[in-house]
This record gives sequence, structure tokens and C-alpha cells, in this order.
Amino acid sequence: MRRTGFLFDERYLLHETGSYHPEVPERLNAIYAGISQAGLLEKLTLIKARRAELKWIETVHDRNYINRFNQACTSGQKVFDHPDNQMCGHTYETALLAVGGILDAVDKVMNGTLDNIFCAVRPPGHHAETSAAMGFCYFNNVAIAARYLQNRWNIKKVGIIDFDVHHGNGTQHIFEQDPSVFYYSIHQHPSFAYPGTGREFEYGKGAGQGYTKNSPMLPGQGDEEYKAQIKNTLLVDFEKFEPEVILVSAGFDAHVDDDMSDINLSTQWFTWMIKNIMKMADSYCNGRLISVLEGGYSLKRLPELARNHVEVLLGG
Amino acid sequence: MFVSKSMTRKVISIDKEAGIFEAQEKMAANHVRHLPVVDKNNHLIGIVTDRDIRSALPYSLFREPSSQRDKEKISDLRVKDIMTENPATISLTYTIQDALLLIQKLRVGALPVVDEEGTLKGIISVRDLLRAFINVLGIGEPGTLLGILVEEKVGQLKKIVDAITEENISFGSVLVARYWDEDKRAVFPYLLTQNVAHVKRKLEKMGYHLLDPMEWYLDQLPKNE
Repeated sequence: MRRTGFLFDERYLLHETGSYHPEVPERLNAIYAGISQAGLLEKLTLIKARRAELKWIETVHDRNYINRFNQACTSGQKVFDHPDNQMCGHTYETALLAVGGILDAVDKVMNGTLDNIFCAVRPPGHHAETSAAMGFCYFNNVAIAARYLQNRWNIKKVGIIDFDVHHGNGTQHIFEQDPSVFYYSIHQHPSFAYPGTGREFEYGKGAGQGYTKNSPMLPGQGDEEYKAQIKNTLLVDFEKFEPEVILVSAGFDAHVDDDMSDINLSTQWFTWMIKNIMKMADSYCNGRLISVLEGGYSLKRLPELARNHVEVLLGG
Repeated sequence: MFVSKSMTRKVISIDKEAGIFEAQEKMAANHVRHLPVVDKNNHLIGIVTDRDIRSALPYSLFREPSSQRDKEKISDLRVKDIMTENPATISLTYTIQDALLLIQKLRVGALPVVDEEGTLKGIISVRDLLRAFINVLGIGEPGTLLGILVEEKVGQLKKIVDAITEENISFGSVLVARYWDEDKRAVFPYLLTQNVAHVKRKLEKMGYHLLDPMEWYLDQLPKNE
């Protein structure tokens, strides 16, 4: 059995998004319930949130943007940058705690305290751009973790795998010119889904050309098409790239029962996926894998999806 | 939506006495495929395209003339020898829609824009029109496309727009397309939000049928053959 961490903190529930919003605190309760009811908590190392130092957030976001976000939050604004980004007085603090918890998780994986970890954080991050909040995201958690791996741990090659049903525009844009970070995303085709980026012909720019890969999937596609696509793209690309650490943008919204998409993945696909990611982590990264929650809105399915996810991480 | 707003104003033009290699180099250097030919008063007298140049050269010479003699023979060719004289033009008051229909009808890649005196004012190409339509579709901004099937009767679109507006969602665009049932229309609102699940449920509750995304036809209807 592996030493698997579970980042969870009740303070992640404090970010409230108002009515008719799918990105709700109950998502984390569902995840926690799924893991605890399966008796997995005693096998996991529970990690609590901590506040991120601004200097690490500034490796991705403009200082001006960070200040703007802080001020919007403390002045009681209910929306930041776009009506999608509903917030409350705790949102800025919660976002800082999400990043801080993830950076702590990175430290624990890098110094060998843990083999891998699942970070059940809110708010999510992969849509957040350098200086704009987007699609329920404020700080780009995974992008900051990648920069932290480079700057604090001197990692030369970071692999990011994003299987959220929406394209991680923020993460792509932050690293599209950087050949030391490979960003792979599989998502519903942008002509049919938010945010409208992540087409096949977006494959990186300048020195980063070839280090961004997008697999847009058509509405109605499911396990079979996703598996074939992963085998033909991600597995081949990462064999060539040989990342030293893998970061996962784990979104569970491509599930057939999640109404945020028209993709029809079964619960089993997500298990298959994380197993394949584990195999890559073992082959190239000494097992080092940090999985970070993005989307996933089906309160009915999140318990089993989270349970299976950490079971695989534990080596089950 | 006048072409004057979407056309290229700094036109790369050429003199009728210029050699065809000069024209070829000018196209390559400026990444264009059409050169309006003008006189010294900037009056349009013709247009020369990359295809005109290609047709004037034997293929082997198009890439790299083999001998000096061949090269000289070809370099005798002038723009005036291969250009289309008095080409189709449009005026500054043409709309984007006019240009779109005319370009399709004439099967050309670009139309010079001239004023009443025939002075060259700009050029509008298929590329400019594509840019204009990317803007019209709103797809330069993040959002989600919905497809809704509605009966063709007055007031349907208003109900849909109202229902979406009530949810405080902005529109990137709304397209209405023909559907293969004659009394139906397909409406495609491009909504500038990620949060569409609620509004989709609301529209279904109102009795609208959401189209299966795999059955969206923006370009043409399936043929009944």
C-alpha cells in the first residue's frame, strides 16, 4: 500500500456561490463522505489547508490581479470578473488556502513523506488566467503547483493531465510557450462546451510548440472513445516527454450523470484513467503524482468517483 | 456592417509594368494572394492573383527557373500581360453580407473596394470575412452553445431570450438556422457562461426541445436523397 495523502479542510466549504450555482460546498462533503464511508480515511494521511505565500501565487498571477481579487472580496462584492464567478466574503481566503494546501502536498510528495495525494480543494483553478477569474476559478492551483515544482524543487519537466470535461484554458495559456511543462487535456469539443478553446490545432507556441496537446471529444462519446484517445495521444506523448512529476487536474464532470456536459463516461472509466496515470507516474516519476480537484458536479456520483480515485492512489 | 470597417485599408498594390517575379515576391513578402493593379493616381485598373502567376509559368519554372534564358524569357512578362482587367469591385457602402454573397457568386478570393472615381480604397478578402464572422459568432470569448428546436411562429425567440436574460446570462450571439422539419427552426444561443445546466433545465420545463449536439447543422441541411 502506498503512502497516499488526502488534502481536505472544512474551511474549503466556506466559499459560497449563491443560488443556482453548481460549484457548491456540498461537492466536498460528497467526496469526503464517499472516502470515509468506504473506510479509507484510516489508510490515508489527512493533510489540512494552509495559507499560501503570495510570492508563489505571483509566479502565475499578476500582483495587480491578486490585489483586485482581495479587494473585491473584502468589499463584499458577490461576483468577480464575470457572473460565473460568484463569491462571498471567504472566497479570497479559501482560494489562498487551496493553493497553500496543494503546495504543502507538493512538498510532502517531493520530500518523500508521501507517494501521492488527492487534493479535494475549492475553488477549482484550471480556467483562471494570469489576470482574470473565469469559469468558477480564481487562482490556477495546478499552474502554481507546476511553477512551485520548478522553482522550489528544481524540477525540469512537469506533466499536467487535465481530464475535466472543460478545457483548462488558463493552464494552457500559462504554459503554452514553456517546453518544460507538458499540458495534456481531454475534454468536450469546444464548439459544444465551455470555454470554447482546446482545439486540436492548439499545440503550444514558440519554444513550447509540441508541449500542449488537446483531445477534443464529441458530444455523446464515452468510455471507448476516451480510452482509444488516451492510448493514442497521452500515453504516447508522455512516453516521449518523460515528466519527473505528474499533476492531475481531476475533473469528474465528464461522467454520464453530470449535467455539465454531453460526454457519457462511466464511473469505471475514471478508475481506468487514474490507473493509467499511476502507471505513467511509476514509469517516469518514481510514483510522484499530485491530483487536484477541478470540476465534477454530480452529488450522486462524486462519492464513488472520489472513493475509487483514492483507492487507486493507495495501490488498490 | 459595412465593408469599410472590415476591409484591409493599407492595400499592397502593384504597377502594371512590374515584372511577374516582382509581383510574386510582393505577394510572398506580404502574405497576400491578390494585388490590385493601379495607375499613378491610385485608380484601379486590374487585379493579379497568385493563381494568375502560377498559370503563366510552366510548373517547373514556377518554383525555380532552370536556366538564365528561361528566366529572362519569363521576366519579360509584365503584370499587365496576366492581370484581370476591370475586375469586379465593390463600393465602400457595400455591407459584409453583400461582400459575402458576391464573393461566393463570383468565386473569387477577394474584392477591391473603390470609391465613385474608381480610386482604390481597400480590399476585402475571404480572410477578412472570416474574421468578421468569428466576431459575429462571438466564439472569440468563452461561452457555451445551446441548440434549441422551436416551432416557427412569432414570439418564440423572445421567450427564449427572456428566459436566458432572467438568469443574468449574456449572449455572445444568437443564430437561427433552418431545420429539416419545415415548420421548425433551430435556435443557437451562444451564452457567455459556463453555468448552463440550470438554464437548460428551465428551457426544457418551458417545453422547448434541446437539440442533440450531434445533430446541429449550421452549414446545410441533410439532403433527402
